[in-house]
Amino acid sequence: MSLGECTKSAFRNVFSNKMRTFLTMLGIIIGISSVIAIVSIGNGSQAAIEKEFESFGTGSLTVSLTGYNNIETRDLLTMDDYDMLKEIKGVRYVNPTYSGRNTYIKLLDPQETKSASVSGVTADAQYIDNPTMLYGRYISQNDVDMKTNVAVIHDTTALKVFGYCNESVLGEKIKLKTWKGTGKYTIIGIMENTNASTETAYSDEFPATVILPISTAIRLYNNKNLSGFSILIEDLEQTEMMKERIMTALEQFHQNEDKYYIQDSSEMVDSINSILSYVTLFISFVAGISLLVGGIGVMNIMMVTVTERTREIGIRKSIGAKNKDIKIQFMTEAVILTGMGGLAGLVLGIGFALLIGHFAGITPVLSVEAVAMAVGISMGIGIIFGVTPANKAAKLDPIEALRFE
Amino acid sequence: MEILKLEHIRKEYNQSELSVIALHDINLSVTEGEFLSIMGTSGSGKSTMLNILGCLDSPTRGSYYLDGEDVAKFKDEKLAEIRNKKIGFVFQSFNLLPKLSSLENVELPMVYAGVSKKVRHQKAMIALEKVGLEKRIKHKPNELSGGQRQRVAIARALVNEPSILMADEPTGNLDSRSTVEIMEIFQKLNDDGTTIVMVTHEPEVAQYTKRIALFKDGSIIKDELVKDRTLVGRSVV
Repeated sequence: MSLGECTKSAFRNVFSNKMRTFLTMLGIIIGISSVIAIVSIGNGSQAAIEKEFESFGTGSLTVSLTGYNNIETRDLLTMDDYDMLKEIKGVRYVNPTYSGRNTYIKLLDPQETKSASVSGVTADAQYIDNPTMLYGRYISQNDVDMKTNVAVIHDTTALKVFGYCNESVLGEKIKLKTWKGTGKYTIIGIMENTNASTETAYSDEFPATVILPISTAIRLYNNKNLSGFSILIEDLEQTEMMKERIMTALEQFHQNEDKYYIQDSSEMVDSINSILSYVTLFISFVAGISLLVGGIGVMNIMMVTVTERTREIGIRKSIGAKNKDIKIQFMTEAVILTGMGGLAGLVLGIGFALLIGHFAGITPVLSVEAVAMAVGISMGIGIIFGVTPANKAAKLDPIEALRFE
Repeated sequence: MEILKLEHIRKEYNQSELSVIALHDINLSVTEGEFLSIMGTSGSGKSTMLNILGCLDSPTRGSYYLDGEDVAKFKDEKLAEIRNKKIGFVFQSFNLLPKLSSLENVELPMVYAGVSKKVRHQKAMIALEKVGLEKRIKHKPNELSGGQRQRVAIARALVNEPSILMADEPTGNLDSRSTVEIMEIFQKLNDDGTTIVMVTHEPEVAQYTKRIALFKDGSIIKDELVKDRTLVGRSVV
């Protein structure tokens, strides 16, 4: 019996009892659709995270304190370190990491305030962070030197504070309020918020970003301690060597040991990706269990089908069907059952991924591997769980089978 | 020419500790163009005989030559091939597949023989014409009368051009009119050279055949030619 004949007759049998077929496939549909949804959402967030890190600047090193325990005053990082670090051979750009806490922006309505996340930067930040300027300019060296009261804000911040975002925002002033006091800053530039989609989705939780010259920020908060630096080196090939050189310089400068931690951005991407892949793996494991249960369901129904069709098997054998023919016939039915379940699950999974992605602000990424895996696994389940019923059918004694009522 | 020849066939069934001897020492030969009926009461061994003749079962001992080959020693796969190519089965309960049309039922043995779709269709049409059902090819078994169903089954049995046609109580589920119809078809086929072995317990039905072998307690007690044979559609000889 040719495979084409076999497939045709299998489809006929599978469709002759639609409700049973649907219920049997349900386990496979649920399993495959969850795998597809999870994997594409996982891939999507991975891609999003990688993109975000790219906007931080590829190959940048991040210097930070190892923690806040056992840290003495002399260990703290200040602008003196900045001056020292930028003179190190092989260092291209240095930008301090400085963020102010508990800061509020006065909004349109003078009674209302909005929490703000303030960063202090040097002019070099634009080479490390690669901001996309929509209007105006970035912080300049002059701004840092003169401690001018200027600010660069995100387009989303402009919308939140002024209600609009265009060129006329330049020159406007924003009022920042901290526990140390308040200050007025002239807006000199608007940059694109690369995280816009996520931030709009949770607009109330996300503070408005304001960027000040580092010197201005230090004055505002009256705190000269930096949380760290981002450093861009000249030769990415020498990342390891530069990490050591910077570490040595810092430890000599502060006369201490093991107080700092230098990470390169690829490491951060890796560590986040590995967390993400653990999450994906775990959920896929759960989905795998549902596939297993689905497979057992298929086996159960195939067993029932074989018993129901004992007489048919007898007839087929009496007119010359070999054991092999009967076996292939039932295997094909099992594979078609699970294969169709797999395809339905694939479609449903893409739908779920798009739906979740829409609400979470992630663009799901569907890989060819995931599709091949879904189809392959579902058909594989058909083969694995179809073997036992098919063998049972093939081994039936034709005389007994013909007598079966 | 001998189509089939049985030598010292014995069949035992082992049910727990009890061993039942269904066939003792059967010697039988059927030559080409014969129309043999196997008669006997229930339990006489005639069904076991037909299962062995139809290669659905193997004897415990003895030789069974079908077209010169000793099929008694064949295993499952080889027996399936013999059933497919050399034997055509007609059953009491028709045994058509209910979901398939008449045409598809007739095509089925050729599907297992690996015949191409086009040839299958042609041969099935010819077989259905032989039994006068060329106008019922799209009908499912439940849309046909008992006699028509049996004719589809005969067409299916003939389609692979078997050496021998085996019929197991073919008229057992039919009324007297359909019985005559079926026997007419058998006689015509036999006239055209088809060798037929038929199991029956009705003496009137056996009268349509040429030779009767009478079974009792697993042995042949009488084997003789039919006198005053009933011929359908022709004046009695």
